[in-house]
Amino acid sequence: MKLVTAIVKPHRIDDVKESLRDIGVNGMTTTDVEGFGRQRGHTEVYRGAEYQVDFVPKVKIEILVADGDLPGVVDAIVKAARTGKIGDGKLWVTEAEQVIRIRTGEMGPDAV
Amino acid sequence: MTDTISTLHDELAALDRAYSPGHHGLWSARKRTALVDAALIELFETDAPAGTAIAALGGYGRGRQLPFSDIDLLILHHGSDPEGLARLTDRMLYPLWDAGFEVGQAVRTPSECLTAAGERLDALTAMLDARYLAGDAGLFEAAMAPVVRQASDDIAVFAARLAGAAEERTERYGSTAHGLEPDLKEGSGGLRDIASFGWLERSTGALLESSGVLRPSERELIDEAEEFLIRARSAVQLAVGKRRDRLTSDLQPGVASDMGFTDEPRLPAPDGLMRAVFERARDVEHIRDEVFTRVALRAITDAPPGAGVPAADPLDAEGVLAALDVNDQGQLADPQLLDRIEAADIPDPVVWTSGVRERFLTLLRAGRQGAAALDTLDRVGSLERFLPAWSDVRCRPQRDPYHRFTVDSHLTYALAGMAQMLRGEDLDGEDPFEADLVGLIDDQDALLLGALFHDIGKNGGGNHVPAGAEISMDLLQRMGVPTPTRDLAAFMAAEHLLLPDTATRRDLSDENLILGVAARIATPSRLAALYLLAKADALATGPAAWTPWRRTLVRELAVRVLRVFERGQMGTELAERLADRLARVRELLASEPDVAVERFMVRMPRGYFLSVEPAQAARHFSVIAPDIGVHEVRTVSRPGTREDTYELLVVAADHPGLLSEIAGSLALAGLSVLSAQVFTTDDHVAADLFEVQASFGTTVEEDRWRSFRKALRRAVEGRTSLAHQVAEKRAHYPAPSRPTPVTVRVDNDASDFYTVVEVGAPDRIGLLFDITQTLADLDLDVHVAKVATYPGRVIDAFYVRHVDGTKVTDPGEVARIEAAFHVAPSAP
Repeated sequence: MKLVTAIVKPHRIDDVKESLRDIGVNGMTTTDVEGFGRQRGHTEVYRGAEYQVDFVPKVKIEILVADGDLPGVVDAIVKAARTGKIGDGKLWVTEAEQVIRIRTGEMGPDAV
Repeated sequence: MTDTISTLHDELAALDRAYSPGHHGLWSARKRTALVDAALIELFETDAPAGTAIAALGGYGRGRQLPFSDIDLLILHHGSDPEGLARLTDRMLYPLWDAGFEVGQAVRTPSECLTAAGERLDALTAMLDARYLAGDAGLFEAAMAPVVRQASDDIAVFAARLAGAAEERTERYGSTAHGLEPDLKEGSGGLRDIASFGWLERSTGALLESSGVLRPSERELIDEAEEFLIRARSAVQLAVGKRRDRLTSDLQPGVASDMGFTDEPRLPAPDGLMRAVFERARDVEHIRDEVFTRVALRAITDAPPGAGVPAADPLDAEGVLAALDVNDQGQLADPQLLDRIEAADIPDPVVWTSGVRERFLTLLRAGRQGAAALDTLDRVGSLERFLPAWSDVRCRPQRDPYHRFTVDSHLTYALAGMAQMLRGEDLDGEDPFEADLVGLIDDQDALLLGALFHDIGKNGGGNHVPAGAEISMDLLQRMGVPTPTRDLAAFMAAEHLLLPDTATRRDLSDENLILGVAARIATPSRLAALYLLAKADALATGPAAWTPWRRTLVRELAVRVLRVFERGQMGTELAERLADRLARVRELLASEPDVAVERFMVRMPRGYFLSVEPAQAARHFSVIAPDIGVHEVRTVSRPGTREDTYELLVVAADHPGLLSEIAGSLALAGLSVLSAQVFTTDDHVAADLFEVQASFGTTVEEDRWRSFRKALRRAVEGRTSLAHQVAEKRAHYPAPSRPTPVTVRVDNDASDFYTVVEVGAPDRIGLLFDITQTLADLDLDVHVAKVATYPGRVIDAFYVRHVDGTKVTDPGEVARIEAAFHVAPSAP
């Protein structure tokens, strides 16, 4: 099992959700996050006053997937989140050692 | 299990079954209490040692034993017969435990009672509820009298401790008056608060009414609330089969049905149940706060305040609002004032005279105090007479993960938040932006009304935003506020989601989007109104709703829209013109399929509709609207507005260098560009509009158009080197006799989205090609181009950015652009 984590632009989240639903993925966790990568923050000048935006608002997505579903999920997220412009975000995959559905106690791929 | 206990078990079960689960109120609780009493007395008296007594504590002591309540038992003793005591407790407690009863037992001597009461407030209040059951009555009196004195010694201090405990409960358990899953016992406005009135009475030995601390109408409300909440809590316990006090969402449909709630138009049964819970708990909350305040303001044992003061004439609507216009919470708690407000003569609906209107607005301006005044008005049932639509949002639960409050509370909180901001409080201190926005507002009343009404459409019908706009308009007309105030407040209700929804769901680097938002808002002051409302709305939703995350996005959108206004790219006039033109284009395209027309209206930039006449846009529709292939090129030409000029539209999938390919092909076909406007749709299709004329001669024959199209197709397909061909063609003509200097200006202030590169150069064959080729070589995308040709000289402005969407801000890169142009346009 794998944990897919992605940081995407807020306005892409609906499209990401949609394309994941299209391939049968119905569960995900999203969190409003702030950070910076190559995009950095930016300084906004409004009426001469500078306002530093250090952290850019993004949405973090986390999805647990069975190994076989991984390529499809990654592809769906990357395609839906891409605008081609700076700040489109990142995606990474980590190994999930164990998954347990708390309500039922199911473990492993059954719990994904 | 002894016979006594098994009998109790059966009797309690029979009682539970005797009524439907929603009808176990106070009567049932008292009956249950009596059954438990009888069993305990029988157990005790079988073999009671001398010098002992038993008493009922807490809710059981008050006669409020619910289906799965603990049995709170106090066993009193002198401490002189440990063995006899041990036998007694064993004999009483084991059978109860064995039979599955939850018992909260305390075994104490009189002095231990006093110590416990001194150490813990809940032990003290449990013993204030103590009720003698059996045994040594003198011992019971001797133990309880000092405990009661501990509370009654200083009533004000005791009341303050109770108030403190109520606050802690609110903190821990939330509110029963608006929580979506309220704790019926411990929540603010719940049964524990009702019990605290009893504790005050026990400590004074008198009813609260007798000292003027509680008004008779308030007693009725408390009694009604207690009956209702006991029924609800009993229903919860019977549903889950164990002690539970929280009315969770999963239980609400069942409890609603048990208690006789049915679906009503725009109010499903579970929402009806929750509304009833909230209404009762809200009464309790208010009365609790007022009783504590009144006790704090004067010793509880004083004579009723103002006794013997002659009754004044009933207040009218204006009088009520004037009476509420006080900034002191203590005065609001004044029982006599509340009596007068309750007895006021307010017509239904209120006639909004200028006096009533001014008084009402004065309340709104008072912020939190004003919101509290509206609450008071609501409690006595009068707010609906002023604002008839209020009854639809009153105590209405909001079933989403974000809202913490009922619709009406949310509205009054938003009002209070707005008033604070307008007074310069609660603004983001580090950022002058919010203060600037407040400075843009000259009609503060409109913002207060907009905040108060923004969600008034959440009445259980469909989409709340259009409904709210309509209802607001009706209320505002009823109130008779000035037209500009009315329009701004109704606009706020209609558009209150525009900024937050756009900011969190749309791409803010899309200029077209920003222009569209700017066109809907039209003025800086309306933008300021929507921003301040977005913040007040979020803050009134829940503590976490106005996060830095959200604020950054909404602020960014607002700043961009504001700069669009400041640059004159949009404003009242332009917004009107745009709306007119869009309507006109729709009219002209009435015979086309709606979906295709809407898509066309959305994907074409706002700037296109502002610079292209509606008739022209309607003509373009059939060329631009159909999907276009990667290498497909569509061109349409027709005679232009001036003699011997032609209008040429070129549509193609956008790609870097497209503009230079078109410019080069025009040059090769012997066509000169007089002006050009380049537009890019939101799905990356270029629609480029040129005004051209023949470089030589006057009319442009079909073969010339044909050679242009051929050259362009070859260029788009990458089958030809335009640079080479243009250079070759140019070689046949002499260079301009009097060289004029080339000027280049790179401007990053003109747009938030693009860097504007302005090039001035002497006109010559293929000039536009050279310039656009240079931009393509620099990896810059051209989104808008404005080309203007004057005799002998061309001034072109290009709105460019990098492929990744960023502007050209690096000084080194700016210098490179300037250098490139100083070479390119004058190159042979």
